[in-house]
Amino acid sequence: MVIEKKFLKGNPLKDISEYDFPGLRRALSLGQENVIQEISDSMLLGRGGAGFPTGTKWSLALEQAGDKKYFICNADEGEPGTFKDRFLLEERPLKVLEGLMIGAYAVGADEGFIYIRGEYDLPIKIFREILEDARDEGILGKNIFGSDFDFDLTLVRGAGAYVCGDETSLINSIEGKRGISRIKPPYPIQEGLFGNPTVVNNVESLACAAEIINKGAGEFVALGTDNSRGTKLVSLSGDINLPGVYEIEFGCGTLEEIINDLGGGVSYGNKPKFVIPGGLSTAALLPEELNCGYSYEDIEEAGSSLGSGAIIVVGESRDLVEILLKVSRFYMDETCGTCFPCREGNKQINFMLNQHKNKKFTRQEVEIIKDIGDAIAAAARCGLGQTSLSLIESIFDKFPEELIEEVRHSEKVRNR
Amino acid sequence: MKRLEIDNIEVEVEPGTTLLEAARKINVNIPTLCYEEELSIFGGCRLCVVEVNGGELLKPACATEADDGMIVKTHSPRVREVRQTLFELIIASHDISCELNCLTCTRQSSCELRVVAEDIGISRMRLNPIYRGLEKDFSSHSIVREPNKCITCDRCIRKCEEIQGIGIFANSARGPETEVTTFQDKGMGNVECTNCGQCIISCPTGALHEVYHSEGVWDALYDENKHVVVQTAPAVRVAIAEPFGAEPGTVATGQLVSALKRLGFDGVFDTNFTAYLTIMEEGTEVVKRVTENDNLPVLTSCSPGWIKFIEHFYPDYLKNLSTAKSPQQMFGALAKTYYAEQAGVDPEDIVVVSIMPCTAKKFESRRPEMNGDVDFVLTTREAGMMIKSAGINICDLPEENYDNLMGVSSGAGDIFAASGGVMEAALRSAYYLITGEELEDIDIKPVRGLTGLKKAEVPINEDLTLKVGVAHGLSNARKMMELIKEGEEFHFVEFMACPGGCIGGGGQPIRADMTSEEALQKRLEGVYSIDSSKKMRRSHENPMIQKLYDEFLGKPGSHKAHKLLHTEYTARGLN
Ligand SMILES: Cc1cc2nc3c(=O)[nH]c(=O)nc-3n(C[C@H](O)[C@H](O)[C@H](O)COP(=O)(O)O)c2cc1C
Ligand code: SF4
Repeated sequence: MVIEKKFLKGNPLKDISEYDFPGLRRALSLGQENVIQEISDSMLLGRGGAGFPTGTKWSLALEQAGDKKYFICNADEGEPGTFKDRFLLEERPLKVLEGLMIGAYAVGADEGFIYIRGEYDLPIKIFREILEDARDEGILGKNIFGSDFDFDLTLVRGAGAYVCGDETSLINSIEGKRGISRIKPPYPIQEGLFGNPTVVNNVESLACAAEIINKGAGEFVALGTDNSRGTKLVSLSGDINLPGVYEIEFGCGTLEEIINDLGGGVSYGNKPKFVIPGGLSTAALLPEELNCGYSYEDIEEAGSSLGSGAIIVVGESRDLVEILLKVSRFYMDETCGTCFPCREGNKQINFMLNQHKNKKFTRQEVEIIKDIGDAIAAAARCGLGQTSLSLIESIFDKFPEELIEEVRHSEKVRNR
Repeated sequence: MKRLEIDNIEVEVEPGTTLLEAARKINVNIPTLCYEEELSIFGGCRLCVVEVNGGELLKPACATEADDGMIVKTHSPRVREVRQTLFELIIASHDISCELNCLTCTRQSSCELRVVAEDIGISRMRLNPIYRGLEKDFSSHSIVREPNKCITCDRCIRKCEEIQGIGIFANSARGPETEVTTFQDKGMGNVECTNCGQCIISCPTGALHEVYHSEGVWDALYDENKHVVVQTAPAVRVAIAEPFGAEPGTVATGQLVSALKRLGFDGVFDTNFTAYLTIMEEGTEVVKRVTENDNLPVLTSCSPGWIKFIEHFYPDYLKNLSTAKSPQQMFGALAKTYYAEQAGVDPEDIVVVSIMPCTAKKFESRRPEMNGDVDFVLTTREAGMMIKSAGINICDLPEENYDNLMGVSSGAGDIFAASGGVMEAALRSAYYLITGEELEDIDIKPVRGLTGLKKAEVPINEDLTLKVGVAHGLSNARKMMELIKEGEEFHFVEFMACPGGCIGGGGQPIRADMTSEEALQKRLEGVYSIDSSKKMRRSHENPMIQKLYDEFLGKPGSHKAHKLLHTEYTARGLN
């Protein structure tokens, strides 16, 4: 039986007059290096999907030469099925702000941006007010809490494309350019916003950082498994009775338990047809694969990835072709259109799927889809393209009888 | 130095070298489509992906720097497989159909997709083309855009912005519908396009090409009542043999004349003659304006791309332009007056055709200021196509001479084709006009060559040293104009819209097999080889010109010369 572990969650905390920013105050007294050391000690991995160690990112950023650095909070949350950042932005915005300021202080940034998904009206309203209050209270501005740390934060409303969640596209978008990815290297840490060193962190990563500095790395590192420390906010959705955001300590329960104990079981049929464990860009897992612990390493071993922590349950009575079409439509629409494999590949896949409602696919078609998938995974310019066919390919792999035509007699002969 | 291994061969390269460059160093060719040496890295086509240290994710060779100890495989089974699929996708997006097919395409023999197909040994095409149904852009007098053939490699965008410094193109529409278009989709004729055609040279497919005039020329040639004359620009003769398989820089002047006669032109003339006249008129103007200190510096006016540029971006300086028409337009004006008189033909029946290395000349011929002096302008490419479709291989032809009257030229005209050429020719004549003596050091080297911005000082007499400048390519033109704006002193400045001058013009043959830089260098050598082999090298020594002034125009700068050979321009500003 899994139960929620409340580390990030807590009572709503929105009123700036009720909060004293103890984490930030502690950070200012610790000094930059010590803050980063503590984050490194916590073994926090970025919660935006890629799982890059936050401590490493910050220490690389601190090492960068140059007086001007930027710190950006990525609140674009565009991965389908992911809505945990929204929870933090609405319920615990001051923790997010605190984490952001701790990070900015640690790496030596005096200017920051919070890029909030365009459709997130309430979080935008909340942050607009918080920024105003924080400036009035002197929490943003010069010599914060009597230190020599100056910082100002600007809110940017997302331009409305999934790809703008990718840090390099997000930076282009803040600069007022087309939301398309940039070639890496240079990485944002080297050359980011307006050509200056820039750290981009996910909302949840920053909330974690705030709590780590607040409570000390020890408490955080004691939670979870060897390679996945702390807790994770999971967005449970799909054919499930109790969808929502749940906080789970890594390693304390399997995917199956999370779905049944917290999610109240499957709502469309008796059992899942399959489960997407980490957002639309991760491979599907079959019901028999769900007995897998909830941690980065266990889900990877099961052949998928924890991604952004979005668990999407697909009930047993769902039509696979319809799902394939929806997924493919999403990637086709959301490609930034810069590199050929992603733009043309996703278009072509959608085109092929559209011609095949209610019919099985020939083996040649499946081979083409697989070839396109391989080419995109190997050659696309950014993460969007590289993972855009993970789910579709895995569905073909896992449901051959339902999707693929029988091997024809003539082919059997030829292959003998 | 960085040491690495590419396809089992050890390579040592300077830090900062990309894998693409490193591979070229050991003669391994990695296919590319969106890459162009002189442009910024785009990393869109992904054809250049290679395996680095056996990693799952392939790396784009154009955007990956060589590093110590890298093991690179440029043609491993996996890489080749991925490339094949990428190419299938590109072709499917390129929409080959009845309307859009290789046979009727302007780039039928110079298409980079075909080169790449051969390079990667494409063996399959399993995908259906996806029709995009975009409209063609016919708004410009010079350039047509066919967006359905566009593969969105953005080379035109980068060429226009980075090399020419204009930036009329941009990506528009969202994600999968991403296309290349002009600002607000206004069309190339309604934005600050200078018509230079450099974008055409960069386009790997047939998505950009000139507005064809060849049909009109065929009609005129077939019409028995018309007297059709043609002029050929100096840069054409060092490039016209290229579509027939010759190297750039191959001089085919006489063969070109003979091909045009076979096509049925009633008179074949050399634009050099009027280039020479331009020098006389412009030289006279320079001397007058320098003596009177009137609106200095004098800016040359023979490159129509440059003219459109200054009309848009520096309209305040239009008064500095020389009022002399370009050689193309002078020829047209004289053909319909002096020549008509001499040949006894009604000017109404004369059709004037030009063969130019240039797409902007098409626009120039359509300027209301020019009274229709020139009826049709063919690019070098179009002329090549016409000659081919008449069953002629230019390389097999005997040489013939230009028709007389406007035919004899001095070497001073040939170097018009290269950047610095106008300046050099004008200096020769200006020196003579002022001092009555010949300029001894005839090869005025500092103004030659492919350096973008050139300056020189030419002592004329004790009181006067002429300060001259030369800029080619519009980014350099902008830099030069900024120098002038800041107050740097010049008497006379030459501008050419295209990098390298007319030999690198937007109407020249497109090479799928070499970089434009290489082609430029070879054509340049061709031009200077013609010039130094000519005996008569000073414009003012040409006897035909003397005759023209004596019989018809009076003297340089006369009233009649002004009426026929000078013009004015239009302040356009920004759209
Ligand atoms: C297509 C795409 C979409 C992404 N969307 C998001 C997003 O919505 N939120 C986010 O935090 N990271 C997103 N990322 C990851 C970011 O690029 C970046 O890695 C992350 O913000 C870094 O923060 P972290 O280290 O705190 O995880 C996305 C990446 C890609 C390629
Ligand atoms: S992979 Fe897709 S989203 Fe990323 S650069 Fe290429 S086209 Fe753009």
